[in-house]
Amino acid sequence: MEFLDLLMLGFGEALNPTNLAFCLLGALLGTLIGVLPGIGPTATIAVLLPITFYLPPLAGIIMLSGIYYGAQYGGSTTAILVNLPGEASSVVTAIDGYKMAQNGKAGSALAVAALGSFFAGTVATFGIAIAGPTLSSFALSFGPAEYVALMLFGLLAATVLARGSVLKAIGMILFGLALGMVGIDAASGEERLTFSAIELFDGIDFVVIAIGVFGFTEIIENLENVEARGVLVRKLSRLWPTREDFRKAWPAVLRGTGVGTFLGILPGGGATLAAFCAYSLEKKVAKDPREFGNGAVQGVAGPEAANNAGAQSSFIPLLTLGIPSNNMMAMMLSAFIIHGITPGPTVLQTQPQIFWGLVASMWVGNLMLVVINLPLIGVWVKLLTVPYRLLYPAILLFCCVGVYSINNRIFDVVLAAGFGLLGYLFRKAKCEPGPLLLGFVLGPLLETNIRRALVISQGSPSVFVERPISLVLLIATAAMLVLMVLPSFRKTREEAFQEEEA
Amino acid sequence: MKNLIRNTALATTMLLGIGAAHAEWPSDRPIEMIVAFAPGGGTDVMNRTLAPYIEKELGGKITILNRPGASGEIAYTALTQAKPDGYTLSSLNTPGYLTMQMDRKVRFDPKKLCLVARIVEDPGSFIVQANSPYNSLKDLVAFAKANPGKVTVGTTGLGTDEHLALLQLEKAAGVDLTPVTFNGANEARTALLGGHVTAIGINVGEFQSGDRSAFKSLGQFADQRSVIAQDLPTAKEQGFDVIMSSERGIAMGCDVPEAIRTKYSDAVKKALDNPEFQEKAKQQSLPLSYRSSEDWNKELPARAERLGEVWKLVKEQK
Repeated sequence: MEFLDLLMLGFGEALNPTNLAFCLLGALLGTLIGVLPGIGPTATIAVLLPITFYLPPLAGIIMLSGIYYGAQYGGSTTAILVNLPGEASSVVTAIDGYKMAQNGKAGSALAVAALGSFFAGTVATFGIAIAGPTLSSFALSFGPAEYVALMLFGLLAATVLARGSVLKAIGMILFGLALGMVGIDAASGEERLTFSAIELFDGIDFVVIAIGVFGFTEIIENLENVEARGVLVRKLSRLWPTREDFRKAWPAVLRGTGVGTFLGILPGGGATLAAFCAYSLEKKVAKDPREFGNGAVQGVAGPEAANNAGAQSSFIPLLTLGIPSNNMMAMMLSAFIIHGITPGPTVLQTQPQIFWGLVASMWVGNLMLVVINLPLIGVWVKLLTVPYRLLYPAILLFCCVGVYSINNRIFDVVLAAGFGLLGYLFRKAKCEPGPLLLGFVLGPLLETNIRRALVISQGSPSVFVERPISLVLLIATAAMLVLMVLPSFRKTREEAFQEEEA
Repeated sequence: MKNLIRNTALATTMLLGIGAAHAEWPSDRPIEMIVAFAPGGGTDVMNRTLAPYIEKELGGKITILNRPGASGEIAYTALTQAKPDGYTLSSLNTPGYLTMQMDRKVRFDPKKLCLVARIVEDPGSFIVQANSPYNSLKDLVAFAKANPGKVTVGTTGLGTDEHLALLQLEKAAGVDLTPVTFNGANEARTALLGGHVTAIGINVGEFQSGDRSAFKSLGQFADQRSVIAQDLPTAKEQGFDVIMSSERGIAMGCDVPEAIRTKYSDAVKKALDNPEFQEKAKQQSLPLSYRSSEDWNKELPARAERLGEVWKLVKEQK
């Protein structure tokens, strides 16, 4: 019963008027910056950090967390409406979500995303509350060797992301891997593919590529359609999902929640994988994979649930061990420390109201987000009826501001424009940008972990099969590879994926 | 004659104008402070925390602009290109600022960059898991002697302060350690917690600002024990000649009038003495160690020379 007492303590903290107000403020701000392409939660929190000096610690932290998960909600809105994923996690949402919007089902896609996210957020929050400490010790057993196996599995699964030929998908993954290598290699200190531009020493930012190949490309391509410019190709049918949509979406939400909660706990890249993996999983289990890429509701529900669950569960390593699992959590760690709280096992014992108050506020915040977002869907969808000549220049402007604000330099804006042109060529060649981005995100993780694993084992490759988790993942990867090259499977895959090329 | 009068009048106005601008510094517009690292990092948080206290002393506004990239080179380049009017300054960290000049030609002229004030000096250290059999650098060295290459130490990359400390320890103790590269101290800390490496290199302040219950420190690489770690023996006390610390401070263009630089340096000193700021610094475990513009500039060549010696070890390894 101690657990219930602690949870009550948490809700007591979260529901006090000050904390409630800051939770709402954070969630609103988060939704706003999520909707604006390119302006990420990390930069926003950095700017707001000094302001929270003047707030009580818990209120400040509640507001900053609200910005973080609020941005996850808002980010999927632009991905669905105008094909503009602002973060790695919403890249896959754009694939089917945008198609749904083009089919006149934008409202339905947004509603499924919001409800799926809420469900996933609820489950993950209670996951943190019940099993946080246990889960985090499991996450620690993931060493370099385990990450290598996980990344290989993820990359292979990425070929499922593409609609066209497998060969093109693999080509795009390889191109993504090459882009991921740009910069100074930390282990050797050598420059790679930087063309001696100091702006490239730290590699290319994910947002630069995503805004280039999605946002700019979309705008260029729209210039071609003289008649049907803009997003609204078909008339809006309805704002609410049909019963059929719900029937298809809820199992996908369940699966996405599971995948997201689990992968979100893994420090270093786990949360990024969540949405990609959920999408691959949905495509695998679907009765009719041909729907995917043409507006499958599961393709929105699964990844959206996964990325929101992942966003919540990435708090687990921070709160229970004091270890941030990504840049965003590193920022949260600074926020805690500024307020004189050092997250970790000690805080759990000495200041339970902080941990439990935050956990409870996450659930409250998620509830607020659904309440805020569902009525807003009508407003967002109306945005699509704004004439092309007004909407697109505005999007272009926000994209440029967003890209500029990452490092405060014009170089990145020019680079994004270059990726826009490249993305246009890819589209003409029927190459999908999804696998490229996955390769870009996973490539560096794969490379550094292979090197780490081999350095630690002093060059012995047997480390990959000696460690049980790594072995299991490698076997799964091998099994998937065999399935893919088996003639019978290939036949069905071709039937499934080559459909629209014909 | 008429012309002469007009010209003289013009010149006088201009002189007066300049004089007035100087007298007004820094109150007529905000000072732009370039932080050479990403928002949320140690340098960023420190400067954002400190800025309001410097503002109070100066009577001007400070706005913070993050220009991360290339270990600070992008920010230093921007600083040397800025107008030398005292309205642009930048964070400056060693050893990054010094080591970047050792391997290649940098994009800025280091002679144009003047140190204004040092804020902290944070010594390096090695930490291990709390239940590890090693309690000191001596224990670690003893094991490494018997098992060459078996001791893995997490660093944040080639030529970083942790890596340079590792190379010094290898040389001083005659052992062979295996450096493992991580993207940042947090990733390294995670790997240590999971038992995937034997030890990691981390600055004392950085270590103390986190939850320490799962770790213990083996020793600090400082000349004298740091103000925030009075109980932790230095490497020298344990018989190893290893000195490695990182400094964080502020720089301006050398063409900025010296009066302005001195005024800023003094304002930093007063801000650091403010008890309210010291309370915040304590929360963030900042090892405050002020140096005036003059003192810091005087000390830098010796530091650079020592680093140059250590850098030779990097070259040998390559």
